[in-house]
Amino acid sequence: MSLLLSKISKHYGRKPVLEGVDAVFHKGLTLLVGPSGAGKSTLLRVIATAEKPSSGEMGWKGAPLPAARILLRRALGYAPQAVDLPDDLTGREFALHMAALKGLDRATADAQFSAITDAINLFPDINQRIATYSGGMRRRLVFAQALLGAPELIVLDEPTAELDSHTAALLETLIVERSAHSCVVMTTHASAQLTRHASATLHVEGRKVFPI
Amino acid sequence: MNAVAVARSAMNVSLRRYSRSWGLWLLLLVAPIGARFMIAGDDGSGMQVAIGGHLPVMTSATLGVCLGIVVSTLLLPVAFLYLRSNTTRKNPWQIDEVSGASRPAILLGRFAADVVVLLGSLTTLTAAGWLLGWQIVNGPFQPEWIALPLWLVAAPALIGLAAFRQILDSRPFGRRGFGELIFFVLWTTALVVPIVISERQSNFSNNMADYAGFVRPLVAGSPSSNNDFSIGGGREIMPGRVPLDAESGITAQGYIGSRFAWIAIAIALTAFAGLAYAPHTVLPQRRATGRLARVLTERLPPPPAADAPPALATRYPLSALLLAEFRLIGGGQVTLFLAFIAALFGLLPDFRHLGSPAGLLLLIFGLCAQAGRSEAPCLRHLTKTTATSPSLRRAALVVATTAWAVLLAIPAAIASLSIAPIFLGAVTGGGAALIAVILAAISGSAFAPRMVLLILWYLYLST
Repeated sequence: MSLLLSKISKHYGRKPVLEGVDAVFHKGLTLLVGPSGAGKSTLLRVIATAEKPSSGEMGWKGAPLPAARILLRRALGYAPQAVDLPDDLTGREFALHMAALKGLDRATADAQFSAITDAINLFPDINQRIATYSGGMRRRLVFAQALLGAPELIVLDEPTAELDSHTAALLETLIVERSAHSCVVMTTHASAQLTRHASATLHVEGRKVFPI
Repeated sequence: MNAVAVARSAMNVSLRRYSRSWGLWLLLLVAPIGARFMIAGDDGSGMQVAIGGHLPVMTSATLGVCLGIVVSTLLLPVAFLYLRSNTTRKNPWQIDEVSGASRPAILLGRFAADVVVLLGSLTTLTAAGWLLGWQIVNGPFQPEWIALPLWLVAAPALIGLAAFRQILDSRPFGRRGFGELIFFVLWTTALVVPIVISERQSNFSNNMADYAGFVRPLVAGSPSSNNDFSIGGGREIMPGRVPLDAESGITAQGYIGSRFAWIAIAIALTAFAGLAYAPHTVLPQRRATGRLARVLTERLPPPPAADAPPALATRYPLSALLLAEFRLIGGGQVTLFLAFIAALFGLLPDFRHLGSPAGLLLLIFGLCAQAGRSEAPCLRHLTKTTATSPSLRRAALVVATTAWAVLLAIPAAIASLSIAPIFLGAVTGGGAALIAVILAAISGSAFAPRMVLLILWYLYLST
């Protein structure tokens, strides 16, 4: 289980955001750190196949993309920073729809969703409409759907932002647990728990990625 | 991955969202209430389906045909407007575009939900048609002969519309205002083409050109295959009714087959839209250059200074607001270029039918985009807390649009040495802005005002 990035560059129009990024992500937790606007989220979007790189190559389990894109997507759990959540659905309805898109069995996905949301203190609210959710609840809902189906590659963009320290610690515990079985790549601010358990930390700055 | 499960989930989620939207209940209610106005009375009031200037004798089948024709022609833009501005316009594309699910399956699921809603509306209209037919039909009351023509004419058009929505949503250009323009052009084409070929004999291929399905029931069923028919309102109706054999019309050779073929095409097009789906992308903004563009766009910021004083209140808050709205309506190089072209149209004779519609068409897009983005729910919550209220901003948008319309009419005024073009520009621009502001405030998006204004623009051009 490994994700390979080779000489990945990403430009928005004429503006370069990433230049010649080389990295290999294995099972375990990899943290992406760096200043705001450095390109961490862009790198995560490229990893999650939400955006195509302007140049460079990617590989998943030894197979090159784009041929292996569908394999990567079937193994992916992705929690971006901002999502146009359907406010008129309940958290559970939304998660079960995402489970269907991932090809998961409804009953087992429902049970897993209950377990995950219980672990992050969202369970009491999963039958409420998303319109009533606070920013932190939305963040936890997006995080929970990313974990559905035990994905092999989990990509998380600032999952603990907007959360109080206690709830953030609950998420971090789950992330650390999952990283024992999956390749977890995430951006985060300084977190002692995550840093202690991370198998690698990459610093993103000046359009480049450096190991720390 | 099970494509059927994906499609079912997409459909169920969309239907659940529809069921929680007040717009659905409005749609289901509007159809039966509007049914009475879809049938013209003897005095010609209401929607007229006339043959040779005469209203048809209202048998059960004729009633079904007339209701179907009104839905598949005149009310199609309303259905499009509903689909594009309803609750399912927002989807979590940031996540579902990277899922391994089959894209055609997702789109077919959403398409199915749209079809259920539109056909639900047709069901309530059928029930209203039965009630209406019980009171007004001439001859035996036959509910099945009201329902069959109504569904044969209207259902394929509505199902095709649901497919067209998915096609537009599948490509970046269709997700924006250009999508409404494409619909508008296709809608008018779908009304004109069948009339052109109405004299041809009834067969499958000729009937396929009649997407709205109104030609054959009228021509094949009318006395001596009369193709002098009109659909709409306001025309002077001659006394007396002509018989219309609507049953022969809808059973004309190749007609029913063509209606089912349109349904099959709609399903195939939706699946194709899934294959051709392009993810959402953020396009880089090109900075406008040129003298006029510099006036209409924000200047480069001053160099940062740590000791910069707090911003002072402007002495002219209203004029600053007006200028901001004026800039946001007409920003961008392409818009400015088109505005220049539209203003040049004013130099041609007949400003009412050339220069004025050209300028108005341009303003509709800029105006609706600005009206829609200002009414985004999150932004509205924020602007409610500012010193300048949302109502004042809306008023400024109306004034700024009027100013644009007047500006575009100046060449015409100079060429004709008259202030009439200025007056016309102010009235049409101000009126359009008022409608846009109201519809955007209600719907929270640019779709509804843009579509309504495009239809009004067409009426303005053609009258």
